[in-house]
Amino acid sequence: MTEAVRDRAAIVGIGSTRFARNLGKSELENALEASRLALEDAGLSPADVDAIFKVETPGEEGNSELEIARNLGIPQLRAWGAAGYGGGGACAPIVLAALAIATGVASVALAIRARNRGSGGRPWARVGTRVPGVAAFEVPYGLASPVQQIATLARRYMWEYGVTSEDLATVAVVQRFHASHNPNATFRDPITVDDVLTSRVVADPLHLLDCSMESDGACAVVLTTAERARDLRHRPVLVTGVAQGMGKRHYMMGGLVYQDDPFDFPARYTAREVYRSAGLGPDDIDVALLYDVFTPLVLWQLECYGFCRRGEAAALVREGRICWPEGDLPVNTHGGSLSEAYIHGFNHILEAVRQLRGEAFCQVADARVALVAAAPIVPSSAVILTRQ
Amino acid sequence: MTRPDGAQRPLPEITPLTEPFWAGARDRVLLLQRCARCRRFRFPPEHGCGYCGSPEFTWERASGRATLYSWTVAHSPHLPFFMERLPWPVAVVQLEEGPRMVTNLVGVPVERYEFGMPLVVDFLEVDSEITLPVFRPADS
Repeated sequence: MTEAVRDRAAIVGIGSTRFARNLGKSELENALEASRLALEDAGLSPADVDAIFKVETPGEEGNSELEIARNLGIPQLRAWGAAGYGGGGACAPIVLAALAIATGVASVALAIRARNRGSGGRPWARVGTRVPGVAAFEVPYGLASPVQQIATLARRYMWEYGVTSEDLATVAVVQRFHASHNPNATFRDPITVDDVLTSRVVADPLHLLDCSMESDGACAVVLTTAERARDLRHRPVLVTGVAQGMGKRHYMMGGLVYQDDPFDFPARYTAREVYRSAGLGPDDIDVALLYDVFTPLVLWQLECYGFCRRGEAAALVREGRICWPEGDLPVNTHGGSLSEAYIHGFNHILEAVRQLRGEAFCQVADARVALVAAAPIVPSSAVILTRQ
Repeated sequence: MTRPDGAQRPLPEITPLTEPFWAGARDRVLLLQRCARCRRFRFPPEHGCGYCGSPEFTWERASGRATLYSWTVAHSPHLPFFMERLPWPVAVVQLEEGPRMVTNLVGVPVERYEFGMPLVVDFLEVDSEITLPVFRPADS
């Protein structure tokens, strides 16, 4: 089955809005702007598009395929769909688009993520006086926000494996260094480990600079068949591996502690599937774009995606291996969610494409294979992209 | 727990599935679902067993013994009720029966939290309907 998808679809255009705390526009307007730029980048027009795939998260204002198609002037859509699970769905629009293109259901697909979380407020804070679902067993005790949920797990992880706050801070420092080369990044001033450790505590043991800042912005990607891609403007970036993943008794991130093994993240399953899909392994990856809403997630993905064993990611970070240009596995070369912008991981896909086109600000020499991984701690997704 | 002029504590919505758990807490008993087929305890309440898929289960009384698995201390931003009480510690405990719960510890300052410390269940009556299971050190 995996052979039927491998290298059949290609990314031929990318586009994004500016990123800021408040762009003063709706999610729909931002989605349209990013889509127009991506089509322009591809040298295609809205008349070529016949599929749209997106991510949707409850609590966001949203932007429907119907509105996007109408406002771009798309004459006919043959396929569409929205993946769920927020940050875990970051790569899912690419997965769905690749499936639609590989099967001939669609010929040109737009994959879009628009998110006004900077100006739009925090969904977790909109809880009423009565809390429904699994959160009914968490919020009344004061475990309400993602950073609190991850902090609880991070403390246990740090204790089990001897990981320090300095190790977590190093992730933020490395990514800020990358962002200092990226004129589109929200935060470009280099920081030190001490800056992270002296930033205020948000949820102990996590500091402010262990967290990404909520942003407004939108990103879009244009995909078509590998054959058609050869006649377009840019060197095609092939969608070589695609995957979604969740496992037995999995929960959203507030519920990770209910699992028999809280560190049996959905990313473990996603990793296995994306490597199988691509016919590649961790040693083949030249650059990794990992979901980094909080610093511990980067360590957990380095382990889940097989770059080291469980509990060993901090050593890999200490050895400088994730830092461009010296490291052998540069991670989040655009600055990631921690420094470029938090578009729920979708901006990481654009960076992977820039790397494989040879157009990145922190260009990895001769980058041929890029891994993009979505949020590891909720039902997840990933893609492996390669240079043709 | 609620000051007349302060924010209200967010409380659980009670459903037919979760009602026995909260009724037990009102009676100062910690109840857990137990699968009728594979006999595993589970928490939080679910309609079917995540281990074996069986829809059949019973509610059984837990021993109330637990150990401290992890914790955080929340600072700003938080929900209004907790914002008025920062910093706010939250604990995760591992029950003797296997499942873990999110909870609060009573009778011990956060500076004295230790991984694996033995705990026993206690109950915090919020109002006539809701009592929250909490935990305190076993030696207190």
